[in-house]
Amino acid sequence: MKTKKLLFLPLLALFISSCSFDMDDEGLSRWLSDQGMPSSYKVQTVTVSNLKPISAEVLQDSQPLNAYARGMFGAANGMSIDAVFDFSIDSAFTARMKKTDSVKSSLILRMVESLYKSKFLPLDFFPIEEELKLNVSWILSEKLSQKEWNKLENINDSVWLYELESWKTKKKADTMISVSVGRNDSLVLDMPSALISDIRKNAGYRRLQLRLSAPEASNIYRFYGPSIYFPRFHIEDLGGNGDYVTYNAYRSASIPKNRETCSDCLVLHSAVFDSLVVEFPSEPIMKALSDFYGDEFPYTKGDSNDVRQAVVMAEMTFFRDDSKGSSEFDFPIMLETGSYVDSVGVAVFKSENYRLDRPRINESGHPNMVFHDGDSLALQVTAGMRDLINRGGDGRSFKIVMRLGSSVVLDKDSSATYRVVTERDTIEYDNGGKIVVDKGDTLDVFFAEHDYARYDFTSIKNKPATLKLWLASKRGQETDKKETVKKDSTASAKTEGKKVATSTAREGK
Amino acid sequence: MKKFISALLCVSGISFASMIGVDALGEEQIAGGSAAMAGRGFAGNAKTGDVEGVSVVNPARQAFDTKVVLNLNFLLGVTTASRSSSSFTTTNISMPSMNLSFPMGDFGTFGVSLWQHYASSIREDIHNEKEKWDAEIEYQSSLYELVPTYAIRLPFLRMVSLGASAHFVMGSFTRNLTLGPDNSEISQKDAWATNNSTVSDYVNGDWEIKNHPAYYTFAAQYRGRMASYFFSVTTPYTLQNDLEYNFRFSETDTLAPTRIMREIRVPAMLATGVNYRFNKRHNVMVDVAWRAWDRDIENVAGSWNMSQVTKTQNDFNISLGYQRDGSDVFYDAYWDRMVYRAGLWYKNWYVEDVSEFGGSIGIGLPLGRKGMMLDLAIQGGARLTDDDRNWSESFFGIRLGLVGVGSWGKTRGQ
Repeated sequence: MKTKKLLFLPLLALFISSCSFDMDDEGLSRWLSDQGMPSSYKVQTVTVSNLKPISAEVLQDSQPLNAYARGMFGAANGMSIDAVFDFSIDSAFTARMKKTDSVKSSLILRMVESLYKSKFLPLDFFPIEEELKLNVSWILSEKLSQKEWNKLENINDSVWLYELESWKTKKKADTMISVSVGRNDSLVLDMPSALISDIRKNAGYRRLQLRLSAPEASNIYRFYGPSIYFPRFHIEDLGGNGDYVTYNAYRSASIPKNRETCSDCLVLHSAVFDSLVVEFPSEPIMKALSDFYGDEFPYTKGDSNDVRQAVVMAEMTFFRDDSKGSSEFDFPIMLETGSYVDSVGVAVFKSENYRLDRPRINESGHPNMVFHDGDSLALQVTAGMRDLINRGGDGRSFKIVMRLGSSVVLDKDSSATYRVVTERDTIEYDNGGKIVVDKGDTLDVFFAEHDYARYDFTSIKNKPATLKLWLASKRGQETDKKETVKKDSTASAKTEGKKVATSTAREGK
Repeated sequence: MKKFISALLCVSGISFASMIGVDALGEEQIAGGSAAMAGRGFAGNAKTGDVEGVSVVNPARQAFDTKVVLNLNFLLGVTTASRSSSSFTTTNISMPSMNLSFPMGDFGTFGVSLWQHYASSIREDIHNEKEKWDAEIEYQSSLYELVPTYAIRLPFLRMVSLGASAHFVMGSFTRNLTLGPDNSEISQKDAWATNNSTVSDYVNGDWEIKNHPAYYTFAAQYRGRMASYFFSVTTPYTLQNDLEYNFRFSETDTLAPTRIMREIRVPAMLATGVNYRFNKRHNVMVDVAWRAWDRDIENVAGSWNMSQVTKTQNDFNISLGYQRDGSDVFYDAYWDRMVYRAGLWYKNWYVEDVSEFGGSIGIGLPLGRKGMMLDLAIQGGARLTDDDRNWSESFFGIRLGLVGVGSWGKTRGQ
């Protein structure tokens, strides 16, 4: 019993002692300063102007996309998209039919509501009407056993998508369809009679892969894929008693094709994975840093990994001319940026984070958008610049990747993804759209659908860009004493961009 | 395994509280930091008995033990660092050592100790209301030694024993300084770019000995009827601290670190001590340990305005202690079975111009009949410095030691 009581003594003493001493932050920060450690890092900016790329290249995307949830076909703004559907059919129905020419076959696609029923579309978006010249091609398989036929459902999507890259059409037929899309649900595309004749001629259990192509279309049509609403292949016997059969597609895909003709132009398409890779030399950046800090850049001592400073933010500003671009919905489109950074000795792509400059966005909109007021494009490349300065000792260049991203509905709203409305209001959009919102409504910053837009970035090749760096330095007074020029805080804004040696001296707090 | 143990011990926040020399080696835990030793002012490495256990300074002592001893030590410490009108206090809990000794009769005694020899530990958040900045500072350095010891009494001169120990060094070092932005040098228009951008100046690495698996201590002990002496020599060694310096934006968003190896040449240590027993159960003891540092210690530093070196001085430790042993007759009064201890020490740190004096009192409380013991020591003192970087400190600590005794291999009637 005695010993148990004694065990409490130290705990009690600790409690009393910790209460009797006042934890003093002021004291700790003075201690830090006496150790030569700071209590905050000083932010400095360096501007490097007149950066010209060494190379610029567009990487086009022509990979088939899985249209499991949604797919598209048609053509717009220098690209076309084919849609492919995979069905399993049998001859039970076609065997009952009297004559081929009394049979109508059609493809029924349910249209994507988030687009065609969106309240944010431009006022003149509907009606979408055109005489669609549709090229239908198909591959009807050899006769299958019922067992094989049943297994068609289990084909892996990725295997199918891979096979589509080498699509070998067996039969094809052109057809003209009059298309009219309003805010309705479905699009019914009548298939050419050659298709049904082929099916009738080849009885039995078979696999039908059907490809729609409309390179001369003036719209891109979006439909739901099998996970949301099955694309259906419908055969109806008009000569009989209205007998019909419907097959659901197991899987569907969209295959984009770039139809740009200018080989020297840097044209990017949005909604597909087209990307523009621009490479800049490191020398002017290193020179500017060297002038600023008075140190050697790139750093080549020891393992050459430079951790003397860190890039807190890097922003690259390009000249922009929207006149050669075109888009479907007339919304501004935000650019997504990435860099190539080192990962254990291998250069890997890394998406750049986008940090919001709220005052600027509220005043003039996001700086990283095209199809918008102004003539500049500012892209954040922080991860890329961190890598360049950190690993620049090996002479690497600076490579950035840009892609057209989402369409922006609320172009001057600095909310990250959505905003909750606080009072009743009428919101007018850049594209002429207008909606009334009430308190508590949620407004999305971005449009739900990608715009199949094209944008010509050729000017990047000859109009120089400007890089601005926000830096945190670890340098102490001892290391840069020889180069330092004292300057006050008000002067800093004026001296940005010029090559100045600047004090990183910290005053002890 | 080394890494595992050091990580385990570091994660559990085990270390001491002094802020002096944090960028060099940190605070040294003398004499293995045992609660029993601390109770008598860290003196008594020459004291022999049945259950004295492992001494990292005098490995020869345990040859005279007759029982298996398991000893765990804990320290609750409060340190207040101050300079002119500024001060701050840190509180720490640590486990400086655990020891096991295993006497094997005529075959000598084998022992092993896990000893946190040097450590520094700070983890504080600073909020400056006035200037609106937050910072976090963290030092977690732990230099552990796994010390197997062996001692044997000479067959022809039974009052003399010889002992040796090997010190396998392991441990880790982490320094993390997380800072917010100071936008005073940039224009207001550019301030958005640093919103919520904290940056960590992060250094971490491992401890080991250069070109060698361990360093060694050799000792000789004489046990007389009244007086006992020991003398020990510890070999010099070079500590190697393989450090990675980095800037971190988050744990996963970092730069490629730059690696720098710092080497610290620790000189040989000479130690000696005497224990004088009178009136059967009363002991007075004096211990001295001495090292001549001939080189400064390279700091972790690497940034800001931190000093590149910590200047060293000859370090020595003089301890004076008293102990009244408890009666081992279990039906004696409890107070008579208790051990009473008191001591004083003066220590010249390895850091230039830092000296420490302290005093302690302690008791040993027998638990049950089998020789189990709970050692309790209360210590206090001051570390004096006239240096701007190293602030003077006053410290207060409570140490707790658990001693388990077993008579393995013995049967009833032996």
